Amino acid sequence: MSAIFPKWTNSLPLALGAVVAVVGGVVTAGVALYATPKHTRVGYEPVQPVPFSHKIHAGQMGLDCRYCHNGVEKSWFANLPGASTCMNCHNQVMKDDPLLAVVRDSAATGKPIPWVQVHKVPDYVYFNHSVHVTRGVSCVECHGRVDQMEEVYHAKSFSMSFCLDCHRDPAAHIRPTAQVTHLDWQWSTNAAVAAEMQATNGTKFVHDWKVESLQSCSACHR
Amino acid sequence: MKNNLNQSAPSVTGRRYWRSLDELADTAEFKEWLQREFPQGASELEDGVSRRHFVRIMSASLMLAGIGVMGAGCRRPEEKLEPFGQQQENYTFGEAQYFATAMPTRNGAIPLLAKSYEGRPVKLEGNADFPGSNGSTDRYAQASILDVYDPDRTKRFKNAGKIVAAEDALAALSQISQAATNTGGQGLAFLTDRSTSPSRRRLQDLISQKFPNAKWFAYEPVDSDIHQRAATQAFGQSVRPVYHFEKAKVIVALGSDFLGSEDDTHNHIRRYVAGRKPETGSMSRLYVIESLFTLTGAGADHRLRVPASLIGAIAAAISAALAGSPISAPAGVDKKWIEECAKDLAQNRGNALVVAGQAQPLEVHLLAFAINSALAAVGSTLALHPVTTPVGGSITELAQLLNAGSVSTLVIVGGNPVYNAPADLNWATTQRKAKTVVRLGYYEDETFAQTDWHIPAAHYLESWSDATTSDGILVPVQPLIQPLFGGLSELEFLARIAGETQTSPYEIVKATFGGSEEAWKKFLFNGYQTEAAAATVTATFAGTPPEVKASTPSASSLEVVFYRDAKVDDGRFGNNGWMQELPEPITKITWDNAVLVSRKTARELGVENGDLVEITLNGRTVKGPIWTQPGMADYSLGLALGYGRAAAGRVGTGVGFNAYAIFAGSYVATGATLKKTGETYVIATTQHHWSMEGRPAVREANWAEYQKLPNFAEKMHGEEAPIQQSLYPNPLDEAKKTALHQWGMSIDLTSCVGCGTCVVACQSENNIPIVGKDQVTRGREMHWMRIDRYYTADPATEKLSDTFQKDEAQQFAEWIDDVQAVNQPMLCQQCEAAPCENVCPVNATVHDQEGLNVMAYNRCIGTRYCSNNCPYKVRRFNYLDFNKRPLTALKGTLYPTAMLGSKTGGELDIVRWWKDPNAGMREEDEWDLIKMVKNPDVTVRMRGVMEKCTYCTQRIEHAKIKQKAKAGGTDHVRLRESEGTIPKTACQQACPAGAIVFGDVSDPESAVSKLKAQDRNYSVLGELLTKPRTTYLSRVRNPNPAMPDYREWPHSFEEYEKHNGNPYDNQSETVQKGNS
Repeated sequence: MSAIFPKWTNSLPLALGAVVAVVGGVVTAGVALYATPKHTRVGYEPVQPVPFSHKIHAGQMGLDCRYCHNGVEKSWFANLPGASTCMNCHNQVMKDDPLLAVVRDSAATGKPIPWVQVHKVPDYVYFNHSVHVTRGVSCVECHGRVDQMEEVYHAKSFSMSFCLDCHRDPAAHIRPTAQVTHLDWQWSTNAAVAAEMQATNGTKFVHDWKVESLQSCSACHR
Repeated sequence: MKNNLNQSAPSVTGRRYWRSLDELADTAEFKEWLQREFPQGASELEDGVSRRHFVRIMSASLMLAGIGVMGAGCRRPEEKLEPFGQQQENYTFGEAQYFATAMPTRNGAIPLLAKSYEGRPVKLEGNADFPGSNGSTDRYAQASILDVYDPDRTKRFKNAGKIVAAEDALAALSQISQAATNTGGQGLAFLTDRSTSPSRRRLQDLISQKFPNAKWFAYEPVDSDIHQRAATQAFGQSVRPVYHFEKAKVIVALGSDFLGSEDDTHNHIRRYVAGRKPETGSMSRLYVIESLFTLTGAGADHRLRVPASLIGAIAAAISAALAGSPISAPAGVDKKWIEECAKDLAQNRGNALVVAGQAQPLEVHLLAFAINSALAAVGSTLALHPVTTPVGGSITELAQLLNAGSVSTLVIVGGNPVYNAPADLNWATTQRKAKTVVRLGYYEDETFAQTDWHIPAAHYLESWSDATTSDGILVPVQPLIQPLFGGLSELEFLARIAGETQTSPYEIVKATFGGSEEAWKKFLFNGYQTEAAAATVTATFAGTPPEVKASTPSASSLEVVFYRDAKVDDGRFGNNGWMQELPEPITKITWDNAVLVSRKTARELGVENGDLVEITLNGRTVKGPIWTQPGMADYSLGLALGYGRAAAGRVGTGVGFNAYAIFAGSYVATGATLKKTGETYVIATTQHHWSMEGRPAVREANWAEYQKLPNFAEKMHGEEAPIQQSLYPNPLDEAKKTALHQWGMSIDLTSCVGCGTCVVACQSENNIPIVGKDQVTRGREMHWMRIDRYYTADPATEKLSDTFQKDEAQQFAEWIDDVQAVNQPMLCQQCEAAPCENVCPVNATVHDQEGLNVMAYNRCIGTRYCSNNCPYKVRRFNYLDFNKRPLTALKGTLYPTAMLGSKTGGELDIVRWWKDPNAGMREEDEWDLIKMVKNPDVTVRMRGVMEKCTYCTQRIEHAKIKQKAKAGGTDHVRLRESEGTIPKTACQQACPAGAIVFGDVSDPESAVSKLKAQDRNYSVLGELLTKPRTTYLSRVRNPNPAMPDYREWPHSFEEYEKHNGNPYDNQSETVQKGNS
C-alpha cells in the first residue's frame, strides 16, 4: 500500500505552525504598534483655516487659556472663542493683516470659522473639562505643551489606559488649582525635588480635597 | 427551596396575583412564557427568513463591514468646530439651559421647565416653583416634546393641497381680513379648539368687535368643559370647580376617572395622594362608581361596578339617602352599599367630596354639585374659581349654518374636526359647504384634505403665548426654538385675520400681560404671575337637582362608553410613538384600542379576546377587537377615542379602530348591538410579560390592620437561604466605605396610582427607542421602567373548584368580575449583590462605588446572560437597531434587510451609510429631526447591547461634577439634600404622586433614608439576598368596615396567607393586643 502522503508532509505541521506563529506574531506586533491611539492619534496636526499660533499667544504673550476657552470651568466642553473674542485685540493689532481676513469676516457676518477638531474622545466617553481643571488637573496633562505649539497637534494618546493612569493615581498629576493653566509650571526646577514635592503635595491635595480615584464605568460612560 | 420557581407557582388551594385571564387560566402558553427567558419569538429570527436568505444578508453585511474597515475604520473623520462669530453672553456651550414655559391644555395649562441643549429642547419637566406644584407633569406633557420633531408634521403652506409660497398664504389671510372688514364679517365663521389663553381671548374679542357678524364656534371631542358648564349652572355664576382631594376625608367618584382620563390629572393625583399618607395617621376614603375599570377604580377603597347609564340613578339614590328619604337602588346594586356610602359622606360633612365624570350628562354633574353643596363641600373640598364665560357655539350649530349655506369662509384653528366631529354631522362634506376653508393645522391630517388654505401651525414649544392654569394662575408659553418649518402660532394667525398691524405673537402676549418691563421679565423668569393669587368664590347650589334618566343595558341593547384614551388623548398624540407604545395603564395594550367588555358580556355574546366584532349604534357601525376586561360593568362596551386615524402620519395611521365613526356627541350611548365577524386580530399587550408569579411583590393591608401591624410588609419577607459566610466577598462592601454617596430609591405603593408618567419621562430622558407593535408582541419593548398591574379577586365570590381548572371556560368564571388592582412601578432595583453582574462574561455590567449597577454599553457583547439571571426582569436588549429603523417599520414587518441594491429616499443605502454611518435606513427628514430629541448626556444604544435603568446616572454625574467644580480646592464635594444638590431621577421628577423618592441612603437625614426606615418598607424578592437599593413602601387601603363588600384584609393578603401561611404566627400576641 503506497503512502497517501509523501514523506515531506511529515514536517508540514511544524512548518505550518512556524508560519502561523510568525504571521500571527507580525500581525499582533503590527496592531500593537500601529493600530493603537498612541500611533493613530498622537501627532495628528490638521491644517487650520487660520494660522493661529498658540506659541505666540499662550507662550510668548502669556494669555491665559481661559481668556479664549472661557467655558472650560463651567462646561464639559472647552469652547473655541467666537471671532469677536479675537477682535478684542485684533481690531488694533494686525488689523488689516490678510491672514486674519477669515476672522474679521466671521466677526462681521457671524459666519463661523471652520476649525478642525484635533482632540476628540469616542462618543461613548463623557469627558468633562470643568471637573478636571477646577480640581487641579492641568491642561498640560492631556494636551501637552500647547504653549509651545505653532499649530496644535495631538500630543497624548487619549486611550482608555491613558485616562486610567491618572484616575488610578491622581496624586501624581494634581497641582495647585491656581497653576492649572500655567503649562510650564513645576514644583521646582530641580527634577528630583519636584518629584518629591509632587508626591507629598499630591497626596495632601487628594486627601484635603477629597479627590476620588474614580475607576468605575459610570465615571465616564453613561 | 424557597426560590424555586415552581414552588411559588400556584397550588390548587392558593390564590395569587394574576395579570390576565390567560395567566389566571394557567394556560400552557402562559407557562411557556414563564419558563422562557424571553417570550417565544423574542430571540428567534422568524418571519420566514430562510437559511439561504440569512446567508445572503450576512454576506452583504460582511461586505459592508469589509468596506467599512478599509474606509471608515481607518479614516479619522474630520470634524469641524464652528464657534460663534459674536461670542454670546450668558451662554456656555455644553451646559443645558432651562426656560419656564407651559403646555396649554383644554381647560388649563401645565407649567413646565424646558431643558434646552444648544437651542433645541430635549426634555420637559414640571415647574416646581409654581405655587402648589411638586414639579410634576402628566404623560401628555412628557410626550409632547416628541411632536416638535415629528417628521410628519406639516412643513409647507398649501393651497388646495399644493405647496404655495408663505407670502401668498399670508396674503390670502389679509384678503379674508379685508373682505371681513367690508362686510363686517358676514359669512365668516371660526372653529377653534378650547384654550385658556387670555391673549387668544383678547384677539377673539377684537375680531368680534371689528367684524361683528363673524361667528365663533368651539369643539373638543373630549368635552371637559362640562365641569365648568355644570358648576356655572349649579351655582348661578360663571365658575370653574377645582377639587381639593387633599382636604377630603371621603371622596365619591360618579364615573369620574379623575386620576386617569380627566383633565388636569397631575394636579388631581398630587392632591389626592396628599390625603392618603398612612404615616400621618389618617387617610381619605375613595368610593368609585364606574363602568370601565379605570385608574381611579384601581385606587378605590370601594368600587361599584355599574353601567355608566345607571350612575345617575345611583347618584340620585345617594342624594336621597343623604336627605333621609327612602331610596331605591337599581337592579343588581346592593342597597346597603349606597346607604353606607351616603352615611360615610354625611358623617364627614365639610370634608366630603362628590365628583362627577366628564362622560356623565349634565344632570349627574348638577346632582353632584347639589350633594356637595348639601355636604358643605363648597369652600372646603370644592373650590369655585370665577372664570370668564367661554365664547363659541357648538359644532352642531356651525353645521346648521354650513348646511344653510350661510358660511362663506370657515377658519379652523387647531383641532381635527373631519376626524373627530360627531358622526351625525357628516363633517367632511359639511365643512366643504363653506366657499373657503382656511386652517391652521399641525398635521396634514384628515381635515387637511378638506381644506383650501392650509397654514402650518407652530408647536407650543415654538410659539409665544400665554395660558391660565386650572386654578386660575396666568402662565407664559415661551418658545424654546424658532418654528422648525416656519409655522405660524395661533396668535399670529388670528392677528393676521384680524388685520392687526402688530402680528408678532411676542408683542401680543406682552400687550395682554400689561405690566412693567420688570414685571414681564419676572413673569417669564418664574413661569407664572406671582401677584395673581387665584380668587375663589363661595356659593350654594341654586335650584333643585334635576331628574336623572337611567336605562339598564342588556345583551341586545348594549351601552357604549366613549372615553379619552390614556395615550393618544382624543387622537392628537396619534403620531407620537412614545404614546403609542406606552402600555395603557389598565389593559396594558400598546399600539391599539379595543372593545372592552366584561366577562359576562363576552360569554353571553360568545366572543373572546381578539375576536373582531362589529358594533352597530344608531345605524352606524365600527369594527374592533374584543378585550375582556376584569371589573368592567356588564353590557357595557368601552371604546377609546383617538385611534383608527386615516392620515395621522407614519406612526399613527391605521393604528386601532376609529370609535368616532359611531360617536354622536354623547359619551354614554345605549342601544348598541354587537356582532361577531369571525375574524380575529392580534393585540399587542405587555400584560403577560415579566411575571412575578404569585410572590408577594406587592404587599398591602387595610387601614385597621396597618394600625395594629405597621410592619406587616416586612413580615411577608420570604425565607432566606441560610448563609454562614459568603464564598465571594462583594467588592461593593469594601468600595462603599470610601464612596461619597450611596444611592437608593423608595417607591410608595400607597401613593402610586399607575398613571405611567414616569415611563414616558424615562423614555424621554434616556433616549429609549420605540420598537413597534410587532416587536412588542415578541416581548421586545424597551421601556426601562414598567408598571406592573396585578389583579386580585374577591375570595368571597370565588369557587375554588372553578378557579384553577386549566380550561378555556375558566377565563369566564364569575368571580373575576369584581377585582382589586394594584400597581407597582418596576425598574432596575440596583441590587447590591446583583445577580446580573456575576454572569456577565465581559464585565460589561458591574458596580460602581456608590452602589449603582452600571452598564458599559461599549463593552457589552450581547450574551443576554444578565437578563436571564435578573429576578426582576428589568433588563432590555436591543434586538434590532431600533434607532436606525425607519418609522414605517414600526408597524410593518420587521426586518428591513440591508441589501446592496436597497435604497432609501432614492439613494443607495450603501452610499447613505458611507456619508453618515448613523443614518441607517431612515428617510432624510426622519433622521434629521428625530436625532434632535435625543438627550446628549445619554448614549444612544445600538443593536446587540443590553440596557436598563441607570438611576439616571447622567444626572447624578452632572450633579457631582457641578459640586466638585464648585468645590475646587476644598473638600466640599459631597452632595447633600440639605443643600439641595441631590439630583432627581426623571421618573421621580415627573411623578405627580411623589411616589418615587431618590437620594443618598448613606445620609440618615435624607428623605429616602427616612422612608426606608418606615415600617412599611420592604424589598421585592429580598429573600434572594440581592439587597436591592430600590425598596417599596407597602400599600394601605382604607375600606369602610360598615360596607357590604368590606373584608378585613385586601384580597392579595388573603392570597399570600393561604399560600405562605400567616406571617404573624409568631406575632399573635401583638395581634391580640391590638384587638383588645
